[in-house]
Order: sequence, then C-alpha cells, then structure tokens
Amino acid sequence: MTLQSFTTWLYATPFATMIRDVPWIIPSIQCIHILAITVVVGSALVSDLRLAGVLARDTMPNAVVRRYLRWMWGALVVLLITGALMATGEPDRVLTNSLFWLKMGLITVACLLTWFFRRPLLHPEFKLEHARWRPFVKPAAWLSLAVWVCVIFCGRWIAYTI
Amino acid sequence: MDLLSFFQSLEETSIALAIKEGDSFFPWLESIHVLAITLVVGTIAIVDLRLIGYPSHRRGARQLIVELLPYTWAAFVVAVITGVLLFISNAVKYAENPLFLIKMGLLVAAGLNMAVFHVGAYRKITEWDDMLPPPASARVAGASSLFLWICVIIFGRWIGFS
Repeated sequence: MTLQSFTTWLYATPFATMIRDVPWIIPSIQCIHILAITVVVGSALVSDLRLAGVLARDTMPNAVVRRYLRWMWGALVVLLITGALMATGEPDRVLTNSLFWLKMGLITVACLLTWFFRRPLLHPEFKLEHARWRPFVKPAAWLSLAVWVCVIFCGRWIAYTI
Repeated sequence: MDLLSFFQSLEETSIALAIKEGDSFFPWLESIHVLAITLVVGTIAIVDLRLIGYPSHRRGARQLIVELLPYTWAAFVVAVITGVLLFISNAVKYAENPLFLIKMGLLVAAGLNMAVFHVGAYRKITEWDDMLPPPASARVAGASSLFLWICVIIFGRWIGFS
C-alpha cells in the first residue's frame, strides 16, 4: 500500500471523519498537545541547561536528570497519542507534508540524544565525570535544546503548509 | 479617541499591514509566541509544583524560584512582544473576541496571584524554604498559578479556532 492510498483510506474511515467533523475535538486535542509540549520544554530546559553547565551547577546532574526524565517520557506519550489523533483526522494535510516528516525526524534525534546522554545517568552507580563520552555532554545538551526549538517551529508551520 | 478607533488605527500601521498581508510573518510570530509560552509555562509549572508540595531538583523553594524566574521573565517578554504584534494585525477582531478577552483576564489574574504570593508567603520564605509540603498559602498560590496558566494556554489555542 502506498502512502497515498493509505492516506485516502484513513481519511475515509468513520473515526477520522468524526475527528474532523465534531468541532471541539481538534481544538481540544491541540490544547492537550500544547500543554504536553510545555512539560517537555520545561523538563528539557532544566536538564539540558544543567548538562550544559549553566543551571544548578552545585547539584548532581544525575539528580536533575532523574527528576525530569519521567516527566519528559510521560509527556512524550501524551504527545504521541494526541499527535496521532490529529494526523488521523487530517492525514491528507499531515502525512503528505514534508515538514511533518522533518518534525518526526527531529523528534527521533531529540529522543536518541536523551537516550544516549541522559538515560545512563539514571543508573545509581553511574558517574558522569568518568564516562568516555564526557566531552560530548555539553554540545549534546545544546543540540538537544536547539532540536526541541526546531520541533516546535515545525509543529506550528505544519498548519500553514500543504 | 475611543478604544475601538485606537485599535482601528493600530491595524492601519504599516507594521500591522505587513504582518497581516505578508505570507510568513504571522506563522513566524506565532511559532516564536508558542515557543515563548511553553518556556513561560514550563518553568512556572516547575515552581508551582514545588509550591504545591512536589519535590524539585532544588531542595529549597527560594533557590528554585531565584534560579528559574529570569528564564520565565525573559520568555514572558518575548511572548508579550510577539503577542502584541499578532494582536495589532487584527486588533478590532481580537478586541471583540470573548475568548481573547478571557485570556487577557486570566493573565491579569495570574499576575495578581503572583503579586499576592510575593507580598505574602514569599516574604516569610526562609521559614518554610525546605518544608514539604509548604504552608497552605504557598500551596494555594502554586495551585492557582498552575490552573490559571493552563487556562491561558487553552484559551490561547481556542482563539485560533474562533
């Protein structure tokens, strides 16, 4: 099945039609989506700025990351569900949109950065100063923040491009 | 000059016309506005949750507030500037939109709530800095702030659909 025929099929399903036609559904989903983005942005800001050596330098990076990572994963699950519902409602505008796929790519990059540079910190015996990838922690933190900013921009622009 | 004709004249300024008629000014401003709001609410939510009694990466509430507030304010200034620019592009319509007026009312309420906290519970913060849960006055301030900012985001998103 090609993307085009999948989009056409999805568009015509009763579920997609309901998301489109009931006027309060899309705005409500978008509100939840934005609220979940604030959780990701808040968590990413504090943990990335800690890893970049800007914020809370006198606290253990492990403690900061441990505190915010659960919030981030939780919010990402909410974003995935609400995002999937929006894409289901208007697959013709979303799945064929190159900005949407750029956004998905950037989210993958941000998640990989989180997985490789933050998740190891959850281990109780892990010492960041002994990690082989220590020199990459700071650049990775800045990159992660930049990627999240781009994700937000892509998200808003999807609405303006077909 | 009454308020309505003032808004009318705002709409006719060259900058407002450029935002209204340009292809990409509006989405760019919107993207920056969304980014700024997620930073404002993301950082405020961390403080609010701490005031409600949820532990943060800082033990002391005062240190957390002092550490995050500069980011909140910087992002808030950006949100106000971009918000004003979005507003003047269609000033009369926005000024007559009940959702927009409710959002402005909620912002004022959030400001008042913060002012009450600062002249009240915050003055005695040394007495409850490390306390979990904090005293009732701080918990009420945190819960009201979180509620008001969530509503600001919800009404903000709904303005786009009205």
